[in-house]
Amino acid sequence: MILVIAEQRDGQLNRATWETVAAAQQAGGPVKVVVLGSGVESVATDVAAADAAEVIVVDAAPLGQYTADGYVQALAALIQQENPALVFLPHTYQTRDFAPALAARLGRALVTDATAVRKQDDGFVYTRPVFQGKLGADVAANGPTPHLVTFQIGSYRADAAARGASPAAVRRADIAIDAGAIRQKPEAPFKEAKQAVDLSQAERIVAVGRGIKSQDNLKLAEQLAQALGAEIAASRPICDAGWLPMDRQIGSSGQTVAPKLYIALGISGAIQHLVGMKGSRTIVAINKDAEAPIFEIADYGIAGDLFEIVPAMIAELQK
Amino acid sequence: MERETLEVDVLIVGGGPAGMSAALRLSQLQKQKGGEALAIAVLEKAREVGAHMLSGAVLDPSALRLLVPDFQARGAPLASEVRKDEVYFLTRSSKLRFPITPPPLQNHGNYIISLNRFVKWLGGLVEAEGTDVFTGFSASEVLYENDGVVGIRTGDRGIGKHGEKKSNFEAGVDIRAKVTILADGVRGNLTKAVVRRLALDAGRAPQLYAIGIKELWEVPKDRLAAGTVLHTMGFPLRMEEFGGGFIYAMPDGVLSVGFVTGLDYRDPMFDPHVRFQHFKRHPLVAAVLEGGQMVRYGAKALPEGGWHTIPRVYADGLLIAGDAGGFLNSMRLKGVHLAMRTGMLAAETAFEAIRAGDTSAARLRAYEVAIGASDVRRELYPVRNVHQSFSYGLIPGLLYSGLSLVSGGWWIRDPMPAHAGYERVARIAEYYREGRPDPDSTVNPAKIDRRLTFDRLTNVHYSGTRHAEDQPSHLLVYDTDICRTRCREEYGNPCTRFCPANVYEMVDGGDGTKRLQINASNCVHCKTCDIMDPYQIIDWVPPEGGGGPQYEGM
Repeated sequence: MILVIAEQRDGQLNRATWETVAAAQQAGGPVKVVVLGSGVESVATDVAAADAAEVIVVDAAPLGQYTADGYVQALAALIQQENPALVFLPHTYQTRDFAPALAARLGRALVTDATAVRKQDDGFVYTRPVFQGKLGADVAANGPTPHLVTFQIGSYRADAAARGASPAAVRRADIAIDAGAIRQKPEAPFKEAKQAVDLSQAERIVAVGRGIKSQDNLKLAEQLAQALGAEIAASRPICDAGWLPMDRQIGSSGQTVAPKLYIALGISGAIQHLVGMKGSRTIVAINKDAEAPIFEIADYGIAGDLFEIVPAMIAELQK
Repeated sequence: MERETLEVDVLIVGGGPAGMSAALRLSQLQKQKGGEALAIAVLEKAREVGAHMLSGAVLDPSALRLLVPDFQARGAPLASEVRKDEVYFLTRSSKLRFPITPPPLQNHGNYIISLNRFVKWLGGLVEAEGTDVFTGFSASEVLYENDGVVGIRTGDRGIGKHGEKKSNFEAGVDIRAKVTILADGVRGNLTKAVVRRLALDAGRAPQLYAIGIKELWEVPKDRLAAGTVLHTMGFPLRMEEFGGGFIYAMPDGVLSVGFVTGLDYRDPMFDPHVRFQHFKRHPLVAAVLEGGQMVRYGAKALPEGGWHTIPRVYADGLLIAGDAGGFLNSMRLKGVHLAMRTGMLAAETAFEAIRAGDTSAARLRAYEVAIGASDVRRELYPVRNVHQSFSYGLIPGLLYSGLSLVSGGWWIRDPMPAHAGYERVARIAEYYREGRPDPDSTVNPAKIDRRLTFDRLTNVHYSGTRHAEDQPSHLLVYDTDICRTRCREEYGNPCTRFCPANVYEMVDGGDGTKRLQINASNCVHCKTCDIMDPYQIIDWVPPEGGGGPQYEGM
């Protein structure tokens, strides 16, 4: 049995959970999904749509707000109770915070940032990126099970998670949380520098590169993003120039994303940028230079002047 | 500001072949001679031992034999013994094989190595002796007392782009030592500063440098037998430029492919990276690489000036070893064994001095005497004018080099006069009398296909270079107005060409002029900009510790 740890905040399910469910299903299941928190019935109901053996809820007041100690305590107890073969987690910021401690507490191997899993002989082999994504290394985990595995955002598609014919059963696990053993006291969440965006959650992204030429022209890209309901992002030179904040940067020194739609405007496609977005489902590239490497990975490429093409796209979308 | 202080007996700055050999030699002496244990520390700016190591490399094992006599048994990672030497003179489309391999290029008994793996192994031996190797720490300045060196200060960590302290700020640590051995490599930032402050280069000839650009390739296994060493002269360089290419074959179809160019060229539009691409497109090289894959990239400067350019390598509390001191044989294209040997000699001098309770310059001068009596001088002295002779062109250079093999390096004027490379670069108006080239385009570009040839930015990706993004630029350009105005006019911004990592770019300034943009996080720590900028306004200082290339297997 594979236990998938769902991620939620304030009753909102993180989309990456579905990707992890898909990974678990493709690894051969059966799959059980755990939802932690306080008052998370609606999240459990959402997740129960998945083709899963059951949904386990750990509902306790001390889990109302995320703390590493709280999650480690709850999950360590639950994993010992359920004794799954594997534990899968989405490789989110939150997972990165508690998963190492959880693995250490259980004394189990942890494989992080996996992009694929497959059965081999008696065990499982995971692919994980090395050398900044240039190579994929196949790794297997040693030692007693369950092994813990986190999956890179976008490595499995959320809509590939099979839905069940009828909702999965939801069960409350009987786990007591010792609030006194939680050493962290979470403060109210804040966004650093006003705008910490998690682009990995965006379904559509409009990204701009040097071809946009000036900061004023960003308005054009923003209009397109608005018409599409997309997030705006950029390649390195734009953020270096301070035209967009650094947290909008996609690539080896920025974020890695895999939206459904990625529109690259005036981005030549340096490999440093490509490693951050090549997992996108549909890539549309607009660039003046027909030889630009971005066209090698684009599903739709337009070799032309973005200042003519983008206004036409906006006009069409607004019809 | 509160700083922590660490006291040691010997501090070694730089964990390369010189620094690691010094550390290992110290623990050997300790064992042999007993007495109170010395506290030794090695400081290395790379995140892990060996990560910033880059060389061809063909190792002359003479120093290794002295340092670790049972190196084979202890698993020294020597990729392959050299089995075959070939030297070619290339023209644009053909090749001429030298009927005999010139003696300095004969590599019988030498080994092809990955310097990265070799130094990692050496570092393992050092740590096994219980010596602390602090990786991920850069040394930002030398600490002096009365013009004697008393240690170094490590770089601060957690400083933001605009110099502000971030939440993870940690002040650098003062490491005080009775003897500081600087082994900070070619154009080491501390050696540069200390040589200037104490005028250690007074009366010495200016150092001459070269830049080596290298890729690691994986090709079909039967392409080139492991142990093959191939050197080229001629194309894509012209008679006026010094340098050449190399291919070293390791087992399993792994090849080191590189090109070295003297940083004393005259053409301001010269682009070493583009020349390297031309080299790979030459039929001799292209046939070897056909169907293969480039897996790593890197670049590093080399000190090629030789004997007359070596500064005074000692001062109160200070010794300088390896490339930092310029110990490299440019005729044999080898420096690793000299780095190791000088590291060992520095260790021996430091050990005796500390035992005697006297680490003054007068006592540490024993190091210079030891070098003079060793193989290091025997090897370097006869070839002391070789690189200098090439500043008169390829033919005079070759003639003199041949002559020096029998004459012991004698010349009418000794040292043979030479200028620092940055002084030799001509102005565009002097060099291109026929018409001024566009500084933003390449003269004689190479076709980039991203299979055999690559643009700089793609190459940089394969160097594995990473730096914390939110930190001040570690490339200090003291007056960027010069870039925009004078340099653009006079030299056409050569930094955009001699930098092999796309650090320097002239971008649209928004007012019709171009302005300098420094992509500091691309830097592969080769030091070429610090060496070659014609106005000498670029200062390479170490970035936050741990940043830099990841030269796995290089």
